[in-house]
Amino acid sequence: MFTSRIRAGTIAVLAAASLVLAACGADSDDSAGDGNTLRLWHYEGPNSAMGIAWAEAIKQFEASHPGVKVQFEAKGFEQIRQSANMILNSDQAPDIMEYNKGNASAGLLATQGLLTDLSEEAGKRGWDKIGPSLQTTSRYDDKGIMGDGNWYGVPNYAEYVMVYYNKDLFAKHKVQVPTTLAEFEAAMDAFVKAGVTPLSVGGAEYPAQQILYELALTKADRSFVDSFQLYKGKVDFKGPEFTHAATTFADWVKKGYIAENSAGIKAEDMGVAFTQGKFPMVISGSWWYGRFVAEAKFQWGTFLFPGNTLHPGSGGNLWVVPKNAKNKSLAYDFIDITMKPEIQNLLGNSGGVPVLADPAAITDAKSKELIDNFSKVSSTDGLAFYPDWPAPGYYDVLVAGVQHLINGTKSPEAVLDEIAKPYDDNLASLGK
Amino acid sequence: MRRGLGLRSAVLAVLTVLVLLVLAPFALVAINAVKSPEEYATNGPLSLPGGLYLRGITDFWIRVDFGEKLVNSFLIAGSVAVLAVIVSVLNAYALGIGRVPGRSAFLVFFLLANLLPQEALVYPLYYLSKEVGLYNSQLALIIIFTAIQSAFGTYLLSSVYAVFPREMLEAAAVDGAGKVRTLWRIVVPISWPSLSVLFTFFFIWTWNEFFLPLVFLISNDKQTVPVALGVLQGDRLMDATTTSASALLGILPAILFFLIFQRTLSRGIMSGAIK
Repeated sequence: MFTSRIRAGTIAVLAAASLVLAACGADSDDSAGDGNTLRLWHYEGPNSAMGIAWAEAIKQFEASHPGVKVQFEAKGFEQIRQSANMILNSDQAPDIMEYNKGNASAGLLATQGLLTDLSEEAGKRGWDKIGPSLQTTSRYDDKGIMGDGNWYGVPNYAEYVMVYYNKDLFAKHKVQVPTTLAEFEAAMDAFVKAGVTPLSVGGAEYPAQQILYELALTKADRSFVDSFQLYKGKVDFKGPEFTHAATTFADWVKKGYIAENSAGIKAEDMGVAFTQGKFPMVISGSWWYGRFVAEAKFQWGTFLFPGNTLHPGSGGNLWVVPKNAKNKSLAYDFIDITMKPEIQNLLGNSGGVPVLADPAAITDAKSKELIDNFSKVSSTDGLAFYPDWPAPGYYDVLVAGVQHLINGTKSPEAVLDEIAKPYDDNLASLGK
Repeated sequence: MRRGLGLRSAVLAVLTVLVLLVLAPFALVAINAVKSPEEYATNGPLSLPGGLYLRGITDFWIRVDFGEKLVNSFLIAGSVAVLAVIVSVLNAYALGIGRVPGRSAFLVFFLLANLLPQEALVYPLYYLSKEVGLYNSQLALIIIFTAIQSAFGTYLLSSVYAVFPREMLEAAAVDGAGKVRTLWRIVVPISWPSLSVLFTFFFIWTWNEFFLPLVFLISNDKQTVPVALGVLQGDRLMDATTTSASALLGILPAILFFLIFQRTLSRGIMSGAIK
């Protein structure tokens, strides 16, 4: 009986304590729209180019706005992806945040009325000086489709897909940097002959479909991209673009440019295999750049996919101002600071791709190569976006299709049929 | 005799393989947690670290203010574990010993509530918590998880109490104990081992919850350990060494808690109804 009394006492104490603790945890936020705080969220790592540039932007903002405190919170990509619509629909919405571009993310929030229309500010403050293909992901029409309509977000950086190559391995096997698709294939033949698989490919995730898309873009022009991505015309999956893409891709597997086990490789492992020096080349996006600079122990460089004028790529994630933001004018001021040449140059010198930098101010040699190549792409308006954008769930369709090509389990024609159907179904559901 | 020995070593071999299989991911996390990013990039995930590199762990700790996240997680998991056990006991006392009419319907209902995927609950819970001003508060999560966990607790304890020795209840009644007195003085002490097991499970389950805390705890200073781990998962890139470091930090408290209460667990599982 004695012990049980102690136990009953313990329970009571624990229960009381937990209630007190719980009550403590329920304090409410005291961030009102007093014009004295800017609540800012983004999800870039502190050591990434964007993280570095935006930290400097916060400093400059506080210096030019005396008395205003920036309340910055580093968020997880997953949290924003899962719950942005719930957060923005409540009184907890921040004043400004980074958000994913695209029809299914920023476009969807815009149609739900959760984002502020930035068209007027973009015109007034000159954010619309960024090139036309960078603007595509900023503007959404009333159905949430990108390309036309009001400005709902402002990209602060850009991204594009390129070929990274290991200079040491190129020198060892006496291979020159190719400038045409034929030279590219000849270079890969030289590696295959020496018993080296030329391309590190992640077939289980996004990288392989970006190679397929590069190959389609070899035969494509702007109107094909407008049709495929913006639904401005009909896309023939049996036309020259995709036929060339699928047959060439299958051919590359057959010739040994792409390893047969690539179908199960994840993007992360693809990148690590390259930094380990196991492959001379990897075709992927500028998001790897900073990491290769920091981690690759050999000489490396980059070149644009040989022969292409169009490349997968787009404006980066967007600054958006929630409809429920309490300090919108401060948010506009902050976006403006991040678009200033100083911040843009810092972003460029830290390994990112700025949208409004002064190329002459990029002093870092490694960054210069990245940004010069981007200038080449953007000067010809060559950003063609990503192949998984046009339809919901298309990413998985493309992963499966390309895996069939790698494994040789389906012919290129059958794969094209397979990826055409979800695309056409989506068009039908959009009423196009 | 020989056959027994052969069987025994076969079982031992199978168990050893199983243990290694279970431990392998932990070992992989541990070796990558103390590896520098350059080493990871050069030698890959399976290589052994050349030295002890603790920057990943300390960087992550500072970046997400991990101490604060530990306090938040303890607060939520601890409150839920205590409250859910109390609610379960009260429910199960009514259903298992009190024999409320329609109790099997109640039990099925509780079980169903437990089986519902959290994704289906998110929007209703979101609107409710917004209505009462508890969105972005830990109290909302404590209430939600107390309800979810006690649904399971009620189900389990009701079946334990259903076979509770009637003689003891009758003896208590003869001695003049009322319903409340019987609960606190007879039923709770005797079922204490089962309650400790429930407490431990509720704590660990709540500790590991990811989805609802992700949706409900908006401010960083209110977030829990699993949500903080998610900060490292980027759009296209992952930081393998820091992610390993954070995973190590994330599972350690749950493992420690489990080891501390492990004795209670094994006692609870083996305990009979009558001492």
